Amino acid sequence: MVKWFRSYFLMCKWTFLSSRPWLTLNLAVQLGLSVGIIYGISYFYPQMTPSIAKYLTTGSPTLVLLTVGLVIVPQVVASMRSEGTFDYIWSLPVPRMAHIAADATNMFGSMLPGIILSIIMGKYHFNFDLNVSWMLIPAVLLIASSATFVGYSMAFAVPKPMMVNIITQLMIFFVMMFSPVMYPAEQLPQWLHSIHNVLPIKYMADLMRGTLTDLPVNLGLAFSVVGAWFAAGFALTYFMVRRRN
Amino acid sequence: MLLEIKDVTKIYKGKVKANDNISLSVAEGEVFGLLGPNGAGKTTLVNQIIGLTMPTSGDIFISGVDVIAKPDYAREVCSFQAQVQAPISGLSTMQAVELAGRIRGGKKADVHKRALELVEKLELGEWQKTLGLNISGGVRRLVAFCMAAVVPGRIVILDEPTNDVDPLRRRTIWQEVQELAKRGSAVLLVTHNILEAERVVDRLAIVDLGKVKGMGTPASLKESEGDAMRLELILEPKATAPSLPDYLKKPLVINRRILGDVQPEDIPAAITWARSLKESGTIEEFLLGPATLEDVYIRLVKNPENNGNHGKDT
Repeated sequence: MVKWFRSYFLMCKWTFLSSRPWLTLNLAVQLGLSVGIIYGISYFYPQMTPSIAKYLTTGSPTLVLLTVGLVIVPQVVASMRSEGTFDYIWSLPVPRMAHIAADATNMFGSMLPGIILSIIMGKYHFNFDLNVSWMLIPAVLLIASSATFVGYSMAFAVPKPMMVNIITQLMIFFVMMFSPVMYPAEQLPQWLHSIHNVLPIKYMADLMRGTLTDLPVNLGLAFSVVGAWFAAGFALTYFMVRRRN
Repeated sequence: MLLEIKDVTKIYKGKVKANDNISLSVAEGEVFGLLGPNGAGKTTLVNQIIGLTMPTSGDIFISGVDVIAKPDYAREVCSFQAQVQAPISGLSTMQAVELAGRIRGGKKADVHKRALELVEKLELGEWQKTLGLNISGGVRRLVAFCMAAVVPGRIVILDEPTNDVDPLRRRTIWQEVQELAKRGSAVLLVTHNILEAERVVDRLAIVDLGKVKGMGTPASLKESEGDAMRLELILEPKATAPSLPDYLKKPLVINRRILGDVQPEDIPAAITWARSLKESGTIEEFLLGPATLEDVYIRLVKNPENNGNHGKDT
């Protein structure tokens, strides 16, 4: 276990230093995305109600986490697979999941400023009081971990790295347009609503809403479903990274 | 033997046979060369040793430990310079080398001292603080060599360590390779730079189409060519190859090069023939000398009928 944590911290240093040349640009994009979602989507609504404002404010950080987990992580992994980076790193005496955990930590660290800014911007832009619960921290960690490990497992499972880019574009289109993140699930047609009863997206949005506002949310169910998706994503990632060609 | 590879075969999906029943062993303190053309299966073999790829059949042991069953053990005892460039875009030279040393279990102060020593020997001082992003491919490969050598494993595997590297620094790398062996590491050197490898390796295997075509010391492999001298003719551009005399044995035509063996009693006739070709403008130049390892290599790799072992595996 000592070796695992030693490897984890050294790989955290490696991944942080590796991302450093693009850190400023990455942060600017994350922050711009967070603020852009709040402002951009509010133009869809001629009249802003407190309920819509709460959906937008809590939906924005959820979308940031989903974008990083389901789009950026798979695209980075696909690029690393194409360049042979994993073959290099995995030839080192480092537990493979320690490397993945370090990479995920770095990704999460880069998302955090955007998440915080989107919540603050939403609160002041729409002028309403947040109802922040201590459960926000485990909720954000679970959403981030779940989205990230689903992203990793998908990126490793797809046989050709080039296919990952196409899949991620479809995924983000589905998340942005057809997922109850920025609006209530009841607004969707029944068949799509049913699909979202098993996907984690609606429950991730519920976690954020239930821990930031007074909107009524079944947090127990949301933690359970997102937790199950995290476990599945983690298990598949573990299997894929230990696999040998 | 520290590393033992027994009857390893690797067949990829699509039935591509990358390794075909390969057996070889490497001892502590030995530099063992793995030579062969592109696509011969050298990197596949190396990837199986360190557990990146799973053999279809066969065994690999390091110090008697079955590393196919325990790939983590292989990565603990092997330090590896991959053929692909190291992912060090955001790291400076010193950061990359020191991090690699720390990951391999080295103590901070020892790793720093050894990293500085390697940087100095390979004359990388001017790039010491430069990010990988801003250094050339050759310098990046030198940094990757330092990363493998900073805390060397009991086995050091170097896959094409001198690609893109300038001649002077290549010489320093070869010196360092021999130094690693002197310190007790077994060095497995994958290269297609035959002439340079000849001066460094204790033994070597020539691999082609996934098979070992010849194995032994450089001297024993050259002995297998007999006492014939090697005549090499370089054709003038656009010149057609002349008809070859009967005394030119085992002739091979490779682009503008014509190679063949000449027995000692036929040497005067061969020189006369080659001079006449030069005077008539058919060839640019000719060379006559003892067989080199490159000759052995070309013979083994170019001859599709050759599947046997040449040389003595000592």
